[in-house]
Amino acid sequence: MKSLTILFLIACLLAPRKNSGEALPGKRHVAHARSAAGMVAVPGGSYHYFLRRKDQPAAVKVHTFLLDVNAVTNDEFLAFVKANPAWARSRVARLFADAGYLKQWAGDFEIGDDKIKNSPVTNVSWFAANAYAKWKGKRLPTLTEWEYAASAAPEGMAKGARLTRIILAWYDHPNPVILPEVRSTYQNTYGLYDMHGLIWEWVQDFNSVIIQPDSSSGGTSASSFACAAGSLNSVNKEDYAAFMRFAFRQGLQARYTIQSLGFRCAKDY
Amino acid sequence: MKTHIILLGIATALLASCHRQVAIKSLPCCAKDAAASVAGASDGTQGGNSIYQLPGMWTDQHEKQLSLSNLKGRPQIVAMIFTHCTSVCPRIVEQMKAIRDSLPASIRNNVGGVLVSFDPQRDTPAQLRVFAAQRQLDDRWELLKGNDDQVRELSMALNVKYQKLAGGEFSHTGNIYILDKEGNIAGAVDGLSSSVHNADALLASLARK
Repeated sequence: MKSLTILFLIACLLAPRKNSGEALPGKRHVAHARSAAGMVAVPGGSYHYFLRRKDQPAAVKVHTFLLDVNAVTNDEFLAFVKANPAWARSRVARLFADAGYLKQWAGDFEIGDDKIKNSPVTNVSWFAANAYAKWKGKRLPTLTEWEYAASAAPEGMAKGARLTRIILAWYDHPNPVILPEVRSTYQNTYGLYDMHGLIWEWVQDFNSVIIQPDSSSGGTSASSFACAAGSLNSVNKEDYAAFMRFAFRQGLQARYTIQSLGFRCAKDY
Repeated sequence: MKTHIILLGIATALLASCHRQVAIKSLPCCAKDAAASVAGASDGTQGGNSIYQLPGMWTDQHEKQLSLSNLKGRPQIVAMIFTHCTSVCPRIVEQMKAIRDSLPASIRNNVGGVLVSFDPQRDTPAQLRVFAAQRQLDDRWELLKGNDDQVRELSMALNVKYQKLAGGEFSHTGNIYILDKEGNIAGAVDGLSSSVHNADALLASLARK
């Protein structure tokens, strides 16, 4: 695992050091005419399902969409809470967020520790993330969009290096006590920062993950899941890193708040 | 360390999949939450766990506009389905009817049934009316369509999992939820089970409260 860690560090060092919110210019990027500030257009293409039903196509077309260059920070989320006090820590309904909501903050409208101002906001429920996105005139990315965008390699990745290895190296690290700032890991070839290596991220339809044995019934109930059948219909069994993400999503509920789970927003292009 | 936590998470997820949800149960989340919502009032949080806090207007089979909070006042038996479903949805609806039919008439008339469509494109009010007639659902049933956002939010609040498939069908979990008069989830039953379990007793007690 040590070698993986080193590889990860190398990848970070090799990642371009760009601070502007604009994507790198280049052939892979579509025109930015309709990009909002802090977002890049992720050019459409084809996403190959990781978990696939036998009666379904192997790939789906992804339309070009806009995605935030980095995850939403504590500071940005504070502006949302100030404008929407119903989302303050002490006021939010339990339907929408569990008791751990924003527990890293000093108070309802106060982050407290300046060191985390530019760190990704975590301990936010899906409902809170969804409300923030709507407030911004955006939406959460779909699972397909997120996976598609996150599959891009780090800009300038060493020849022969594999993204999966980099992700697994991150999984192997303990969570830092204070989350690093956004844009502190790598930038990928779409111009997106930290798609892996900093936090996990909510997606609009995380509850579309139904890990089940292959079934052509068009539906199933909780009781018809077979034990540990999750990997049966995974297309790429080698992609342990992706399996971890899908298993993680399957275990989530929309009210949950988790210390390593934040989000970024998307928008139609 | 993180790896261990994640592995634990995966193990939990897989165990949860293995858990057969046959018997009706007070959901662990909600048994605790019933107390929490009371405590919630004192610590300032508002609204507790009621799913009737979800925003948005729905259209029913009679083309009437309503918000979920219009369902307040009587216990409700709720499930999410789509009417073109040929496999599990009809069984879920039959199970909901069986639960309702197992109640004494005096209580039955104070218990509603709610079917929410995954499929706003095809499940128009007219289509919902046809489905209600086919399934012989009386006027205590509300069949609702909303927009995609509303459907997603409701599925999140109920913890229903679903995915739209390429052919326009939906893959989904099939629980039936029992809501109290205020819209809190009081229990869940497997929609494919052949027994009503204790759903009748639960509903009777909720109706009397």
